[in-house]
Amino acid sequence: MIKKLHKLFSSVKLTIFLFLFLAVTSVLGTIIQQGLPLERYEAIYSPGVFGILKFLDIFDMYHSWWFLLLLVLLSINTTICTSRQIPRIIKLIFPEKKEVDDTVFRSSQIRKAFQSQKKLSDIERQAGILVKSLIGNPVKTVKNDTIYFFAEKGKYSRLGMIFVHISVLLILAGGLTGTMLGFNGQMNIVEGEKSDTVTLFGGKGTEKLGFDVRCDDFTIKFYESGMPKEYKTDLTIIDDKKKAATGVMRVNHPFTYKGLKFCQATYGIAGVSDFFIGVRNNKTGEKTVLKPEIMKKVPLPDSNASFAIARFVTDHDGMGPAVLGVLLEPGKAQHDIFWIFQNGHNINQQQKSGFIFTLENFSRLYYTGIQVSKDPGVPLVWIGFCLITAGFILSLFFTHKRIWLRISGSQDKYEISIAASVSKNRKTFEERLERLTGEITLE
Amino acid sequence: MNDTFLISIVTFIYFFAAFVFLISIIFNKKSVDKWSLIITVAGLMLQTSAIIMRWIHSYQLGIGHAPLSNFYESLVFFSWSIIFVYLIMRRRYQNSFVGILSAFSAFLILSYASLSGNVNCTIQPLIPALQSNWLISHVISSFLAYACFAIAFGTSILYLLKIKTKAGIAGLLPDATFLDEVTYKMISIGFVLLTLCIITGAAWADRAWGRYWGWDPKETWSLITWLIYGTFLHARLARGWDGLKMSVISIAGFIAVIFTYLGVNYVLSGLHSYL
Repeated sequence: MIKKLHKLFSSVKLTIFLFLFLAVTSVLGTIIQQGLPLERYEAIYSPGVFGILKFLDIFDMYHSWWFLLLLVLLSINTTICTSRQIPRIIKLIFPEKKEVDDTVFRSSQIRKAFQSQKKLSDIERQAGILVKSLIGNPVKTVKNDTIYFFAEKGKYSRLGMIFVHISVLLILAGGLTGTMLGFNGQMNIVEGEKSDTVTLFGGKGTEKLGFDVRCDDFTIKFYESGMPKEYKTDLTIIDDKKKAATGVMRVNHPFTYKGLKFCQATYGIAGVSDFFIGVRNNKTGEKTVLKPEIMKKVPLPDSNASFAIARFVTDHDGMGPAVLGVLLEPGKAQHDIFWIFQNGHNINQQQKSGFIFTLENFSRLYYTGIQVSKDPGVPLVWIGFCLITAGFILSLFFTHKRIWLRISGSQDKYEISIAASVSKNRKTFEERLERLTGEITLE
Repeated sequence: MNDTFLISIVTFIYFFAAFVFLISIIFNKKSVDKWSLIITVAGLMLQTSAIIMRWIHSYQLGIGHAPLSNFYESLVFFSWSIIFVYLIMRRRYQNSFVGILSAFSAFLILSYASLSGNVNCTIQPLIPALQSNWLISHVISSFLAYACFAIAFGTSILYLLKIKTKAGIAGLLPDATFLDEVTYKMISIGFVLLTLCIITGAAWADRAWGRYWGWDPKETWSLITWLIYGTFLHARLARGWDGLKMSVISIAGFIAVIFTYLGVNYVLSGLHSYL
């Protein structure tokens, strides 16, 4: 049983199966939107389908038990396959015996043998040049009147694939650590206010930070074209009732405190205050600016009528921000209710009983949307990223090349045997070997 | 002189290069192939200067940034990458068929960029999400990877044609083993570049959104692509699958690439809405 399991987990077939299975199932989660409240899915799917999808955790499939299981299986598979490779790689990098070995001339990938009638010193000199120009300075050994040359280059490139597989394991371990010990959520804080509670993504409740985050100020800058240029929040951390830190948070420039990362995610208008309403008296031509509070009557100048604003909207019928004004005139049974816009939009509607109303100005109160995350797995993932890059560089830009050359026989009939092995680009190597040996025999 | 005007000239140069490659195949002349190479190199040089010009122009407008920030710029850079990768791989794997495919696909991409009403070619300022040092390395690694996969896709199609059709075009096509080897080389380099693309993307996402991986559709599709090409490499190195199976995986991989590049933006919704 254990033997069978070991065999299964050490097979590349399993790797291929897991890769394809992960790829196919991952598509599902990009078609079905993830992490919405369950009611939303209930409205889309019939009860039967909803039941199946819910049982399989499809609505949060990348964190489901079966997806996690696939990743765990992949990790076991990678661990066993890689650890089985390590002894072979170590043997290649640090070969045990330094003694010359004739078996390579029978078993190597690349083999070549020819005879020469030249003088031994000439053959030796040319063999040295051959080995040197193919790989590097040769090591010469003489044993029983037979001369051996050996040269080797790039043996550490064999570590590349090991590094890549170890880093995949590190990244998976980092991801698992983050899922288990970290969190990710959002907090919206109105300017001037503070909060210590993060609403976690995916409907997973809330998380108390143990300290307060205060939004001191939120600002937006725009380009001339009207496109947003910068979102910025000034933050203060109040920990243990003391000001512990202050900082600035912009998009792509997070603020960190106690291992938590605060990223500028969104913003919005939490409210408006300080409305300035321009009132022009058509008779006198005089303009006054009133500052009424919502639902509080103010008298109009040179008139017995009074005015109030009922409410504010950020955008009325695509004409921008507007307040709903109420004009109260004594003797009239019904109040006059009308929208007041900025910049003189819809001027006709704003003309009431001899007055022209405009919304001169108001102050917006923003809230900043902060994405808060804690992920103790990040260092593991970063190490994995560095190692995988190193591994790819090793195996992509370096080749392990070895060559053995043997000169045997006696005067007038020397036998020259060549054996070589390369970890990649075999064809190019063979072509060069062919050309260089041609030069030896031709001379 | 406007950079978009230069790009339209480059579009015609690539079309012409593809045409000359075609002639060199039909008449089987090495000298004609040399001419198509010269035309392609000229096209790439002109395109490179157009890209640099656009870069400089954006600084003159006071909104300076690398021209890698919207759909039009990504299409121009994608076609540039295909020609660039072709010229590099050509040093070892010289073949006019691969030349036709590269030049013609670069021509098609640039025509779409210039002529389609969906593609806005004006220089726009960078929105806050794109103002990052990771932008250049992330975009360059992704499009070089896409270009490698595009060439592998082309050679896989040629491979299928070669082994499935008996007469006619099959005789003109390069050796099946040659096509198989080019596919393998392109995918192994593309795979490394795609890995770098995902790493730089993760590092960027960690700064922008506070997490290096969030199963956003674009992220997920890049992983799906990575898994498919990972399958290709494992099947080839450890299991020695035959060329037919390998080309099918290579074609499936490229469909995933197209979906990662375009489908996610047009079909699914996510954080990568600016491409």
